[in-house]
Order: sequence, then C-alpha cells, then structure tokens
Amino acid sequence: MDTHLNEKESLELIGKMINSAKNNLQKGLGDIFLLWGYLVAIVSLSIFILLVVLPGESSYYSFFLWSMMAIGVPFHISLIRKMEQQKLVKTYIDKIMGSVWIAFTISVITMMAGILITTVLVLPSFTEVEPGHEFLRWIPWTLFTPFMLCLYGFALFVSGKAYQFKPLVTGGIICWIATLVLLVSFHHPHLLKIQEFVLFVAVIFGFIIPGHLLRKKENGHV
Amino acid sequence: MYKELDPVLHSQLRLAIMSILISTEEADFVFIRENTGATSGNLSVQLDKLKEAGYIEITKTFRGKIPRTICKKTPAGLEAFEKYVETLKSYIGLE
Repeated sequence: MDTHLNEKESLELIGKMINSAKNNLQKGLGDIFLLWGYLVAIVSLSIFILLVVLPGESSYYSFFLWSMMAIGVPFHISLIRKMEQQKLVKTYIDKIMGSVWIAFTISVITMMAGILITTVLVLPSFTEVEPGHEFLRWIPWTLFTPFMLCLYGFALFVSGKAYQFKPLVTGGIICWIATLVLLVSFHHPHLLKIQEFVLFVAVIFGFIIPGHLLRKKENGHV
Repeated sequence: MYKELDPVLHSQLRLAIMSILISTEEADFVFIRENTGATSGNLSVQLDKLKEAGYIEITKTFRGKIPRTICKKTPAGLEAFEKYVETLKSYIGLE
C-alpha cells in the first residue's frame, strides 16, 4: 500500500499518528511503585510498632530496619530491565520523567550520605555526649523523612501532570501535606513515632494506591 | 506558484511512520505496525525507503531471544518533515 493523499488527509493523518504516541504509559511502571510502596510501608509500620512496644532507648535500634530497603534494589533493577525489554516506544515524556526520577534518587542518596557523614564522623569529633546517650548523634536523621517526602511529592506531582494521571498528582499533594505535618511537629515528644506513622500513611497514598491504579490502567481497565 | 511536496513523505504509510517518529524519541517496529495498521511486509519496504532517503535510522537488536527493530528519526528527517508541513500549510492557505 502506497496511497497518495490530498493535503487535508495528510494533515489529519499527522494529527492522528502524533496522538497515538502521546501519553503512552509504560507497562511495568505500577510494579515499581508497588515494590517500593509495600517495602517502605512494611518497614515504617514495623518501626512504628517497635517504637511503641519497646521500652526507652532500646527502641531506637528498630531504625536499623531501614537497611531492609536494600532488598528492593535487585528487584528494582530486574523490573527496570523487564520494562526496557517490553517497551515498544520511548516518548519525550518518558525521557524527561526518567531524568526526574534519577534526579530524585540522586537527591535522596546525597541527603543520606551527608547525614551519615555528619552522624558517624563530624558530630562525634566535635560534640561530647554522656555514655549511653550516643543516640543523640542520630538526631539529624529526623530531618531526612520530611525532606525525602517533600522531594517525593515533587517527583510524583510532575509525573502525574506529565502523564495526565490524577492519582499521582493527588499522591504528590498528600506527600507535601505529610512534609508539613512532620516539620511542624518537631517539638513533639513522640516525634519519631509520628514520623514513622505519617510516612506509612503518605506511602499508601503516594506509592501503593497510585501503583495499583497504574497497573489497572496499564492493563486497560481504567 | 506551488512548491512541490516531498515525494518520499507524500505517501500514506511513510507519512504515518514519520509522524510517529516525530512525536517520539524512538519506536519499535511492532508499535508502528499496530498504530498504522500496515502489514509487516509493506511496513518493511516503506521503512527501507525512508532509511534510503536518510530520514530515519534503523537499529536491529534483540529482546531476549526475539529480534526487534527500533526506528528513530534523523535530523534530516525532522527537517524534511517540517518542510513538508510548511508546504502543506501553503497549499491549504494557512500561510
């Protein structure tokens, strides 16, 4: 088939084809949201419960559960590989959104590295704490959750607008509200418990619900 | 005096292929076939014509064990497409 067209038909064909490639959601995106969503939800809820149940300073050891996040990395890499293999088209939105999420990951890693250096190297060199109160040096970590959620809200909001998918936009707004709640509750004696619980709630709206809805949309049910 | 429309682009399937590649970074053979409704044989022929004109690049790779063909527009292809649309506009009196 090598049909020639008149001018009007040519313009209509161009418009139709351009639209077919627009907002093409990548298959597998929902699985990535669900992987990190359930992992963060399980860890934050477990830490919250341990903080409530365990007595005194011993409860702070529950924060080591965050090291479980490393479990997600190999699964993440395998899901990305699967996505790359299944992908039939790469739009400019995919390219820009890929960069936004890479920027988010680099920002989170930078914050973690900075806080880790100050906790392990800088603070012990410049401050003295009473024996048994070493946990005080870990205080800078209380800033990590609100800042991470704020950045996450940013990436989620931009993705939602780019793919015209409202649950991501709503998730982003909820993450910003969660950030605000965490930053204004710094004075609270139960700050750590509040942080883990708010993170758990934010993750449900920011990762898990959009993840399930994305999967439905990918399978053509929405 | 009307300018002449680029004969490489002024064909239904080749124009459809170029329109998809204009709006994407790259597209798989299967994606183009599904969206244009063309047969594999005809699509291959038209892709080769676009490649010969220097308008697209074709990369052959593997997805697991399945071969795949990825198509991408070239700067010359983009320029030709823009020129084609400008000429079309002059034909229908938009300019």
